[in-house]
Amino acid sequence: MFKVQRMSKLLIAASKDQLDPIVRELYRHNVFHIEDFVEQNAEGFDGLKIGKPMENAPETSTELLRVRSLSNTMGIKADSVEKEALQSAGSLHKSIGEELPAIEKEVAALVSKRNELESKARECEQKIQELSPFTSFPYDLSLLSGYDDFSVVAGHIPHDVKLPVDCEEFFAENSEGNLYIAVFKKSGQKEVEDFLSGNGFQSLPIPKECGDALGRINSYTHEKNSLEKETGEINEQIAALKSKHASYLVACDELLTADVERAEAPLRFATTEQTFVAEGWVPTDKAKSLVKDLESVTGGKVFVTEEEIDYDKDSVPIEYDNPDFSKPSEVLMDIYSRPQYNEFDPTLLVAIVFPIFFGFILGDIAYGLILLIVSVWLRKYLKDSIAGNQLLDVLRNASIMSIIFGVIFSEFLGFACPWEPFFISRHFHIGATEATGGGPDAIILLIISAWIGILHITLGRSIHIRNTCIQMHPGKHRSKVIFAQLGWIMVMWGILFLIWTIAAIPLMPDLTAGPMVTGFNVFAFIGALLIVAGIIGIGLDSALELMELTTIISHVLSYTRLAAVGLSSVAIAAVVNFISIGMMIEPAFADFGLMSFVMIIAGIFVFLIGHILNTALGLLSGGLHSIRLHYVEFFTKFYQGGGKKYEPFGIIRKFTEE
Amino acid sequence: MVVEGMTVEVAQASAVGFKAIGAGLAVGLAGMGTGLAQLGIGGAAVGATAENKEMFGLALLFTVIPETVVIFGLVVALLLLFT
Repeated sequence: MFKVQRMSKLLIAASKDQLDPIVRELYRHNVFHIEDFVEQNAEGFDGLKIGKPMENAPETSTELLRVRSLSNTMGIKADSVEKEALQSAGSLHKSIGEELPAIEKEVAALVSKRNELESKARECEQKIQELSPFTSFPYDLSLLSGYDDFSVVAGHIPHDVKLPVDCEEFFAENSEGNLYIAVFKKSGQKEVEDFLSGNGFQSLPIPKECGDALGRINSYTHEKNSLEKETGEINEQIAALKSKHASYLVACDELLTADVERAEAPLRFATTEQTFVAEGWVPTDKAKSLVKDLESVTGGKVFVTEEEIDYDKDSVPIEYDNPDFSKPSEVLMDIYSRPQYNEFDPTLLVAIVFPIFFGFILGDIAYGLILLIVSVWLRKYLKDSIAGNQLLDVLRNASIMSIIFGVIFSEFLGFACPWEPFFISRHFHIGATEATGGGPDAIILLIISAWIGILHITLGRSIHIRNTCIQMHPGKHRSKVIFAQLGWIMVMWGILFLIWTIAAIPLMPDLTAGPMVTGFNVFAFIGALLIVAGIIGIGLDSALELMELTTIISHVLSYTRLAAVGLSSVAIAAVVNFISIGMMIEPAFADFGLMSFVMIIAGIFVFLIGHILNTALGLLSGGLHSIRLHYVEFFTKFYQGGGKKYEPFGIIRKFTEE
Repeated sequence: MVVEGMTVEVAQASAVGFKAIGAGLAVGLAGMGTGLAQLGIGGAAVGATAENKEMFGLALLFTVIPETVVIFGLVVALLLLFT
């Protein structure tokens, strides 16, 4: 909690004949994050070279390619295959040699038949396209070809023409683009071509067919339909094969992927002629059992040692260590950046504060319920996306907070609930004919949100001090950084003290009547002192940072968005209610007539669309503004990030077992 | 400015009207400012994210930074309307 998982850096060395059992064991444990070996000619690295893949690697890769190509042909995706009983690796390996070729053969025969049918259907389609301009030609199409001494031209022409040579002509005005056909002596070819090109003639290929065009088109259409029917039947057969073999193929894919990854693991190790060295990271609490298992599979012929972490040189892979409740919020951290190894991990804080901010902004029972239902319903479609599920969990938590705040604010789709709001009202009386109260408690809301900002920022600065204490060596520089961070807090609270002595603000201490010493309010004096001391602290660390002093005010005021955006969302809901009910449905009922039905339906439509849009807007503004307050206002106070993701060697098996 | 014949009620109503105009201007002008600022950032952010998906977090961060301006406008409007 508040810390990422502790990591140990392991160095594994053994002779090459132990490579296979060691790699298998590392893969099975799925905890070893391999540090890739980079060949370097530096001293101390003499004779170390990148390893070679294991002997079976090429064959396994080829098999994997075959399986994947088969899966692609049948459109099988691992995500959409239902999980069944785990298949054992041994029996799968055996069956890959026998069963896979049979499936391949069956699928290949069907696919080639389908390709043949599809190509025939395309041919028919082309013939139909060629024939369709000739439907207005009432004679046998065989008359248009097969002459030794005559030429035939056919095509579209804007208007009827008379060729300047002896010829037989046909012109059909009714057809699209006007069909023109002419038969003439070959000697006049050039003359005819010149004449026709001057008259906007567009030539068409002459179909090599017997019989009339319409008859031929009907025959080809019939043929094409029967081909398409046959293709459909073959598709059905492929689909049947897909459902029969899907779970087997995804299991093969998983098994072979694992085999290939294992076979190629030595490419990431350093090797000599007889030995190999693997370096990597393991969560400290899992290191012992891994070492024990490695020793047991090799019969003790392995050397494993834990290396000391050099924080300047090593970049430790980062794995979160959070309670279940805050795990979904890791996705929000990943969007920004993973923490560094010795840094404070604020995931738990985000998991608690983000939903509260969201609920504060979108505090409405109905909107909360809608988002809760959406977050549960969408799970059906995001079964295998870890990040997607995490986001949905975050949305679920946020919408629950939205419902809770909805109860506090007494809001349901912008309407008031039967009970009075607790402490704060956000109700707008838009369109109310008589005054029913003083509108929302905007000022109180703004002050509460400013308070949230003050405390959140103070917390952020305090965490920076904690980080400094842990990460930096004791000394002058560390003291300066700590004093600077204290300085930021002091300036902020100093300004607050000054404000409190000047004006009495609701929900804030009233120091206007503080004890006076030599004509000055003591608290004003304390405030001024805090500001001066703070400025000195910041300036001692970095004078340039003093330019940022104004951000103290702007960042605190930035938190007022919690109130402002929330109020705007309520205002939109109130306006939608007023337009749909106050302006459309109620008047329609008051003076009921034929038009009333139209008005009522239009009113319901406006009501639904308005609230759907407001829900979407609420989700967007609630989520974006809450997370932005974390990213911009909170994280910038202490968070460095930039941690490397922990990616252990191995996979989580879904369909197979060793 | 003194307008002859103006009753207290009319003056109060005018004050409410001017407040509403002020609130509208505060939100509208601040919104335009934010929009102008987000115009360039948003375009660049989308481009950067298209090139490298890992940029999404940072790109989102840059895009939402100018939103503070419109929030300040909204806060000013709320103060005008409800004090």
